[in-house]
This record gives sequence, structure tokens and C-alpha cells, in this order.
Amino acid sequence: MAEKNENTMAADEVLRYELLESNGPKGAPTGDPVLSVRDLHVSFNTEAGVVHAVRGVNFDLWGGRTLGIVGESGSGKSVTALSLIGLLDDNAHVTGSIRLRGEELLGKTDEEMSEYRGTKISMIFQDPLSALTPMFSIGDQLAEALLIHNPGMHKADVRKRCIELLELVGITDPEDRLDAYPHEFSGGMRQRVVIAIAIANNPDIIIADEPTTALDVTIQAQILDILKVAQRETGAAVVLITHDLGVVAGSADDVMVMYAGRAVERASIDTVFAKPSQPYTMGLLGAVPKPHVAATTRLVPIKGNPPSLAAIPTGCPFHPRCPMATPECAQNEPELLPIEPSEGHLVSCHWMDKIREKGLTFEDVYPDLEPLNPKWAEVPRDQRPVVLEVKDLVKTFPVQGKGLIRRNKGTMTAVDHASFKIHEGETLALVGESGSGKSTTLMQIMDLVKPENGSITVLGKNTADLRNNRERRELRRDLQVIFQDPMSSLDPRMPIYDVLAEPLEAQGWKKGDINRRIGELMSLVGINPDYVDRFPSQFSGGQRQRIAIARALATSPKILLLDEPIASLDVSIQAGIINLLEDLQTELKISYLFVAHDLAVIRHISDTVAVMHLGKIVEYGETEDVFTNPQDPYTKALLSAIPIPDPKVERTRERLVYRDGELVSASSLTRRG
Amino acid sequence: MARFVWYITKRVLNYVVMIFVATSLTYFLASSFMSPRSNYESRTPRPPQESIEASLDRANLNDKTPIMERYQKWLGGIFTKFDWGMTPQGGSVNQEMSGRIGASVKLMLFPTVLSIAIGVSLGVYTAQRQYHWQDRFWSGVASVFLVIPTVVLAILVVFFAIEINSAAGTRIFYVTGLQSYTGGNVFLEFLDFLQHMILPTIVLTIISAVGYHLNQRTYLLDEMHADYVRTARAKGLTRKQAIRKHALRASLIPTSVNVAFSIAGIFTGAVMTEKIFAIHGLGEYFINAINGNNIHGAVAVAAFSGVCTLAGALLADLFAAALDPRIKMS
Amino acid sequence: MEEQNESRKLTNAELELQADAAGAGEVKRISYAGLIARRFFRQKSAIAGLIVLGVMVLIAVVGPMVCPYDYTEPDFAAINVPPNAQHWFGTDGGGFDLFACVAHGLGRSLVIGISYALLTMVIAAVIGTAIAYVRGWGEKVGMWILDMLLVIPSFLLVAMIVRAASGATGWLVLILGLTAFGWIGYARTLRTMALSLRERDYVKAAKYMGVHPMRIIVRHLIPNLGSILIIDTVLGVIAGINSETAYSFLGLGIKSPDTSLGLILSQGSSAMLSGPWIVLIPSLVLVVLCVSMQLIGDGLRDAFDPYSRAAGSVDDDTDDDGDQK
Repeated sequence: MAEKNENTMAADEVLRYELLESNGPKGAPTGDPVLSVRDLHVSFNTEAGVVHAVRGVNFDLWGGRTLGIVGESGSGKSVTALSLIGLLDDNAHVTGSIRLRGEELLGKTDEEMSEYRGTKISMIFQDPLSALTPMFSIGDQLAEALLIHNPGMHKADVRKRCIELLELVGITDPEDRLDAYPHEFSGGMRQRVVIAIAIANNPDIIIADEPTTALDVTIQAQILDILKVAQRETGAAVVLITHDLGVVAGSADDVMVMYAGRAVERASIDTVFAKPSQPYTMGLLGAVPKPHVAATTRLVPIKGNPPSLAAIPTGCPFHPRCPMATPECAQNEPELLPIEPSEGHLVSCHWMDKIREKGLTFEDVYPDLEPLNPKWAEVPRDQRPVVLEVKDLVKTFPVQGKGLIRRNKGTMTAVDHASFKIHEGETLALVGESGSGKSTTLMQIMDLVKPENGSITVLGKNTADLRNNRERRELRRDLQVIFQDPMSSLDPRMPIYDVLAEPLEAQGWKKGDINRRIGELMSLVGINPDYVDRFPSQFSGGQRQRIAIARALATSPKILLLDEPIASLDVSIQAGIINLLEDLQTELKISYLFVAHDLAVIRHISDTVAVMHLGKIVEYGETEDVFTNPQDPYTKALLSAIPIPDPKVERTRERLVYRDGELVSASSLTRRG
Repeated sequence: MARFVWYITKRVLNYVVMIFVATSLTYFLASSFMSPRSNYESRTPRPPQESIEASLDRANLNDKTPIMERYQKWLGGIFTKFDWGMTPQGGSVNQEMSGRIGASVKLMLFPTVLSIAIGVSLGVYTAQRQYHWQDRFWSGVASVFLVIPTVVLAILVVFFAIEINSAAGTRIFYVTGLQSYTGGNVFLEFLDFLQHMILPTIVLTIISAVGYHLNQRTYLLDEMHADYVRTARAKGLTRKQAIRKHALRASLIPTSVNVAFSIAGIFTGAVMTEKIFAIHGLGEYFINAINGNNIHGAVAVAAFSGVCTLAGALLADLFAAALDPRIKMS
Repeated sequence: MEEQNESRKLTNAELELQADAAGAGEVKRISYAGLIARRFFRQKSAIAGLIVLGVMVLIAVVGPMVCPYDYTEPDFAAINVPPNAQHWFGTDGGGFDLFACVAHGLGRSLVIGISYALLTMVIAAVIGTAIAYVRGWGEKVGMWILDMLLVIPSFLLVAMIVRAASGATGWLVLILGLTAFGWIGYARTLRTMALSLRERDYVKAAKYMGVHPMRIIVRHLIPNLGSILIIDTVLGVIAGINSETAYSFLGLGIKSPDTSLGLILSQGSSAMLSGPWIVLIPSLVLVVLCVSMQLIGDGLRDAFDPYSRAAGSVDDDTDDDGDQK
């Protein structure tokens, strides 16, 4: 160990403070760490140049503890995880040190690493739908995990253990389910199987890379609970990688916040949430709407966009977005250092001392919080005209068997007698999980045709009375839509000018008017009008969504339908889009139909809420009423499942699970709990 | 099971309609582009007009009869007696074709099996060595063979065979036909068959092995980067094991679909190869039919090819259903 | 903090513009075509293909001008002579100068291959995407017709049409015949590609803006199939050249007095012992021509899809490097 380089020595010195991380449910870590990561660097050669995905990350893991690694896309969190288990692509260049109980893992070949994978270190991936081999049964895949490391294991023992594992992760009738194939399982069930595979050989370390991102909120809560059971059973150290602070709040003991490939803050869970001390962390925690408190102030967005890993700014990588930044910040990059010598709280910021001494918080660092925009208060909402009314809407789809025999299995009712109305300048949120029919409802309105049943009335015109496409086109001027993914909603082959001109051309505008209008629109949404000849790929995700909003506003519509408009954006830029939408509503008096699954955002932005479940609207009312006094059991279950970015609240909460129309407490469902 | 039979029946019925429409269109196309009359008119001495008309009428090929009338008569023959009509010379298309299908099968069977075996193995081999010289070399060779015209390939093979023959001073390779030995020795007869078969087999094997190789390589490369291969590696399989156990299985499904179509292709023969090596199979018959204004013969070959194509499509579905658990049979 | 107090009055959009003016996220600006060209010319094999193709085109265009002999006029003084200073590629049994014939045939092959590829792609793109876009009954009927037309191998159908070609206009008939049945398979593939495009949000958005369906097809669907169309057109040229060779060899395509590479091969194949150069030279020309097209096609494929090779990827979803589609 004499050959340790300087960086490692310095890191060891700083990481001693990890042992002081005691401000969480499990107190301070004790004993030797299971895994030590020192000065980890990972880079890739790509088209855009060398991408430095991870730049000098240090941390230790202890058995039985969970380290939450939080970061946005491009922060290097997933690459860090993959380098621990040796599953990076061949073109990755990795340096530093990863030691498992003192043994160096970096530099081992694929064959050597395979001895560790599954037994010592195992991993749970983001997308359960593609993580299991479609050709093999669940039982075979589970048995394989056991047999790789225990080749002599008896067949009956393998089966017994498989059943045991499936039971552990909460799969009912495990004996029968062993022969099922992955496609017969739902996403949540598949993720349970992946967890069962991960814990099959009692690993020392379980890495969970965004394990719940692809799942619905109620399923997410269950999977996080199972992860805890798995940790208890195996005594493993868990690395929980996520972009969702709410997920960390309830599950982690320690938190490491990553930005541009480096750790910028690291502390015990309660410390991070109570006293975030790096401006980025402050912003991240401050910018998200809180689902458990009513909205009183506007959100404060972090300006700008996360940097590209191929072009990381010099100095502190956060300085271009940081309200505290001074020219010094652009010079050199700050180290991760203890902010308080007696605590395990590590921060990387040039202004660390100032923050500590003055006890600066989010409110001090970021521009003052403004009260929520007065929402056009002259006329009370219910006295304003109704702009969109849906009555008894029904939409069914024929259900077809997949594959060789496409026979009709009957019909599936996607929307089941849904009714609601929106007044001028009002926001109605349509909430539900995937498959609840919320997006179908939205598309039914956009189609502007006579629905299967019921009626849709847009600005006083019943869609059943529209006789031809010309009349529909006229109505489309006042009714526009914004989609979830701005990657896919802007044609990659069209410059922004053409993108914005398209709705205007469709409405027969003249060229001069179009030019003028495009300039107006770009300023309206905060995109430099000089950029009109750029292509969508040259903008960041948040900017693309702004362009999509500009396109929707082009014809000055009265109603905007928004289909999960911020769900695919990074946390730090969501607030900016929400504020933009609020500004636009105040200014232009547009009505929003806001489809979303994120209850926190809904609580912030909407006036009324309609909760959809299996095609039916199960609860419909004023936002605050629904959130504070939900009536329907499904709404209650949904509200209890949202992760709350506050560890103290999150730990004491009792989750409710909706089963066949009734509510049960979640703890009664987890076995051995 | 009953549902399965019903499904197959429905499928076959649709195919029957397709073949009927396609064959009828081919009949009209052939009738408008071919002129059996010219066969007689160009003869020297030119036969008397009445005799020409009589011969054409007998074969139902007279362009002075309205096309719909000829079509009805031709169709009637097929539906009542499965008689596909006459050649301009008065021969029976059924008879001429039946012998040639046998020759085509003899020619195609071995190269088909061989090309699948070689092509798929090479595909798997090269995919696992992506970016190494083995992959570059074999995939490079394959893409050259993929683009050079069959004629050129066959001619080059023949050219080298002739060079070898003259260098050896004896006839090792025969470049035409399937058989020339007429004695009674079974062993010599078989040897003679091999000497004839080897060149067309080389040509046909190369042509279709190249397709299997490049396709299998793409399929496996696609599956190799699938998430479930990563899961398998996370369990503790090495990269090679994970590919062999998990990715390979999935990549064989689209290949099996191609195999199904190849099986159907055995019966239709190979036009170019048969023509170059003077093998009297179905492909050669088709070219002769076209050059000889044999409308009924050409349409019959086209219809037979259509049946084989659709049989291949049906077989492909069954293969996929048997291999992929996501597709349920019942 | 004074400055921040001022920004209170600013709307979100204005704040964003300020941040932008500060030059936080400067985006790289390369035009799409420029990027593709850069990636294409980075590949040595693709450049080699392009150069070889250039030489081939040069031979086809300039060859007949510099060659002292015409492909229609036999030199009775030199029958079946091997390549020499007078007859660069030798002559055939009829005394025709092989260089003149090959240069002319090469031109024929290129014209046929390129026209065939362009025509089929245009037809296939319009019909394929239209079938995908209309949905419902139109799509069902369209697919049935495509499937039906594919039941009988198109090689056989084309053969029936082109056999009627005469010596003078044979190459035109060949192009038309090949195109008449050549587009069907491509249309089917392009329709499959368009199936995923039609679900893209930008297509839905255009529809919900009231954009005319034909305009959506022309402005969104076809341009986004662009890379596939370009690659398939290059590979389609090879298919056209191959078909010309096959039909002419069988005596169905180009006929004397016109000549083509396939026809030379057909005539030479009977005299392989006495004049091997008659088949070897056009064979070599065909191989070189097709391989060079293939190299260009592969180069384009890699240029359009950088992930087809190990250009490198980052697992952490960094979607903002500006170079991706």
C-alpha cells in the first residue's frame, strides 16, 4: 500500500469524515467499509470528443447501509455504478481504485470479474421490461443465477431456493410463476424478479440504478419497500442511484450529490435535507414542488442547463448556473471538504466558509421567493365561461392477442364515462398512472371527431357537429397540444423557423406575418430569436420544450392540452418550465388541461384535479380539497405513495395500498416484515 | 387446437385468393408481352395460315380469340382437370414441369443445407469478434460476394474449374448438366454425379451463405447489446457465456424465418445457375418458356413459385411460434 | 444581491434570455449535411469507393471518345486477339474491340443502375409512407396488394416484360421493366420504417395543427426516412446493375447491336477456352463497380448512424451532445 498516490492519500484523509455521518436513522457507520472507491475516473472517446463521465469520485460503502447517489442526466451517476460491477463498455477508460474488502477490482478481466458479479456485487437495472431474457422462463433465469456460482447445487434445492426468493420479493403463487415467461409479468413484477436474481447469492453490495424510474408511483413505493427487505435479508450495502430526491429521502442513510462527474456534496440523509450547503444541492431541493404542502410561492428555477460531459466548464462546473458565482469560481475547481470539522458533511464550494458562517439557505442564495401569480382574480373562476366540456366520454379499443394468432379478445375500455369541464384561464389536472386513460382522453379531444359515447364541446362547438376538415382546422387554431418528450415532438430535420411556421402556414398566414410572429414567440418563451435557423438537436431538453410551447402558442390558442410536459426533463430545469407556463397563463389567459402523474407538480400548478383510475374519474374537485381531504380510496393510496423530499416525514409515513377497491396498509403486505 | 386449425385455415384461404389474383395478373401480363404466333410465322417454310390458326387454337394461344375467352378456358382446365395448358408446340405444361422440379430439388437441396450451416456459423463467429480482423476479413469477403452478379461468380468458378481440368490433364469438374455416366456401376455413377454437382453447389452455397452470414451477424449484434445480456452478465456470466446462452437464442428466431423461405426455394430452383450449368430444372424451363413464347409454361412456373413463397411464409410463422415463447400457438 | 432584487419583475422567459446571453451553454453549430460529409470522408474505404467509382464513370464517359474503335464496327483484321497496344482489352470472335464494348457497356450499366435506383426509391417512398400514414382500411388494402404483388418473384415478372425489348431501345425497356416490379419490396420496407415515424409526436403535432396529410408525408415522413432512402438508393444501383447483367446474359435485356456488360459475358462464356479475356475483363469491371458502390453505401450508413460502429457511447443518458439525430 506504499504506492498509493497523492490523490488517494488525500481522499482517505477526507473520507475519514464519513465515519461521522450519523445524522440518519442508522447513526454513524461502524467497522471497515465493504467497498472503497478512490479517485475514480471514467472517460469515453466519442464523436463529440472525450467525454469525462466520472472525474475523481471517492466513497466507501458499509454493510447494511444505503448510499443514495443523486444527480441529473449526465452527472455520471450511472457510469459510476457500472464501473463498480465492471459492466462498462469496452471503450471506457477507467482509472483509480475500487477495493472490495481490500482487494482491487479495477484491472480485472471480464472472466475474473464474473466471479464477483452476482456473488459479491449485484445490480438492479432501470428498465425491468427489457432486463429479463424473453426466451427463458422466470424460473430458469433465477436458477441460472444460483447455478453459475454453485454448479453442484441439487435440482430440488435450486427449486426450493427459487420459490423462497420469489416469496421474499412478494410474488404470490411462486410455484406456479416459476414456469411463466417475462412477457406474462407486469413491469413491477418483473422488477421484483430482477431483485430476486440480484439477492440470490447473498451479495455484499447491491447496486440499484434508477430501479423505480420506469414504474408507476404506487408500484415504486412497493419496489422500494422490497429493496429494504432485500437489504435486511442479505445485510448488503446498497447503492441507490436516482434523480428523485423523494426516493432517496425514504431509503438512504447517506447521500452523495453528483454534478458533472463529481461529488459536490455528501452527508447523512437528514443533514442533506435539513442543511444543504452546496448551491446546486440547495437549488435542487428548493426547485422541486413539494407534494405535501400547498403551493404559496412561485418555484425558483436554477437558470441554464446541465453541462455536456464533453465540454465541462472550467473551474467549478456549476459556476455558470450559480447565483453566488464570482470570477474566482471560474478559475479552479473546489475540492470536496468537510464544512464542519466535527461532522461528516462534505461540500465542494469556494464559498463554503461564507455559507457556513452566515448559515445561508436556499432563500438567501437564490432570488427571493415571489408569491404565486394572482390568477386573474377579477372574475371568480366559476363565473367565467366554460371553454372545454367533456361529458360521459367513452373510448374502447379492441384487444388483440399478440403474435401468431391475432384474435380479438374483446374490448378494453380505456376511457369510461369521463366528464369534466374547464373554465377560461383555469388549469385542470388529469392525474393517473399509466393505463389510466388520461392520455387517451386527451387524444380523443384533439381528434375533434364524434366520440363513441358522450360529447366533447370545445369553445361552445360540439365536435360531433363539425362537418369537415376545414371546420376542424379552424377550431384547431384555438386548441393546441404539448407532448411529453420534446425530443420526439420536434422534427429533427426541421430548423426552428420551419417548426414554428408550420401551425401558421396550416392556418394560411402570410409570410411577413409569420416572420413577425416567430420573433415574438421566441422571446415569449425565452429562446434567443437569432437561433431560428438552428436544428432541434442543437438545443437542450428544456429549450426544446420551450420551442414546443412556442409552437403550440403560435396561433394564440384559448386552450392548451399538456401531456406530461415536464416528465422527461431534468429536475433542475422543470421549475423553469412550470414558471413559464404560469407566466403564460397569467399573460394570455389560456386554459390548461394538464395531464400528469407527478402529484407534486399538479398541486403546484392546477386549480382543479380529476383523478383517473382504470378509465374512470374517481375523484374530481378543487386541488386543495383533493390533496387535503381525499374521498376515494384510490386517491388516498396514490397520495400515500408519492415519495416526499423530507426524510423525517417519509420515515414516519404509513403507506396505503389499493387492493380491489379497498385500502390496506403496506406493512401488512410485506412478508417477514 | 381448434383455434389453431381455424387460424391456419383462414390464413391459407387468404393465400389462395392472393395466388389466384397474382396468377391471373401474370396470365394477362404474359399474354400481352408474348406472341406464340411468331413461333409459327417465323418458321421456314412458313406453314399455311389455316394450319397456324389451328395449332394456336388447339393450344388455346390464339391472339385472335378474345383474351377473356382464352382466360376462361385456361382457368377451366386448371380447376376441372388441374391442366395448366399447352405449349405452342402442343406439349403438356404439366408433364414438362413435373420432371424439372425433381432436377431443381436435386440441385438445390445440398447447397441450401450447406449455406445455412456455413452462413449461420460464420455470422455467429464474426459477430462475437466485432472490430477484430476475423470479422473484418470474413464480413469483407461476404460483402464482396453479396454484390457481385451471380453470372460473374459462376463464370469465374467455371473458368477456374476449366483451368484446373486442363492443368490436371483430365476432367475433374464437369461444367454442364447433372449426369453423363451411363454404365451400371453405382459407385462410378455417384462419383459422376458429384463431379457435375460440385461447381453449381459452390456457386449456390456462396450466394446464399453470404446472406445468412451477414444477417445472422446483424441479428446477433443487435441482441448482444440488449439489456437482458447485461442482466445475465450481472448474474456472473462472462460476456461470452452471456452471449452464447442468452443473445444467440433470440438471434436465431429471425434466422429461422429465413430458413423457412429457403426451404420453399428448394423447389423453385435457381434461374441463373441452371442456365449457366445447363441443368434442366424449373429455372431453366422458365427462361426457355419466355424465349419460346410458352405463355402457359411461364405462368405455371410463376404460380408454382407463388405457392412456394406463401408456403415459406406459413412455415416461417410456425417456426417463429415454436421458438419464441411470446408467440402463443393456442 | 441588488441585481437579484431587480430580476423579480422579470418573467421566466426574460430570465432565460439573460442566462442565454451570458453564454452559459454555447451550442456547436454544424449543418446536418456537413456533419454527415465529415463522418463520411473520415472513412478510408468510403473514399476509396468514391475514387474508384469516379474512375469508372470517367471510363464510361471519356472511353468511347479516346478509343479509336467503335463498339459497332468490327476490325476484321484482328479477330479474337488478346489485349495488346492496338486493342487495349483485345477483341472478340467477331472482331469487335473489347475496350469500346466494355466502356459502352459500363455506361449502360451505370445509366440503368442509377435510373432504376432513383425511380424505384421515389415510387417506393411515396407509396410506402402513404400506406403507413392513411391507417385503417386504406392501409389494409394497400398492404394486401403489396403482399399479393410480392407473391410471384419479381424476377419472373420483369423477365416477361423485358423480353420484348428490341436492340435500339432495349435499355429503356429494361429500366421501365425493372422499375415496374422493383419498387414493391422497397415500399414494404419503407412502410415498416414509417410505422414508427407516424407515431412520433411531431407527426401527431402536425396533424393536430391541421396540416394537410400530403404535406405531412412530404415534409415529415419522407425527410426522416432520408438516410435510409439515400443508402437504399446507392445499394439499389448495385441491384440494377446486377439485374441488367442477369437479363442481358439470359438474352432478355440488352440485345445486339447495342451491347452491355451482361451481353458481352453471355457471348464470351461460350468461348472461355479460346478467349478468356472476353469474360474476365467485363467480370472484373463488374466486380470493381459493385464493390465500389458497396463501399460508398457502407460509408454512408456509418455516416448516418454513428452507433453502427464503436464510436463510443455513454450509458448515462447524455442526450445533449448535439450530434445525434
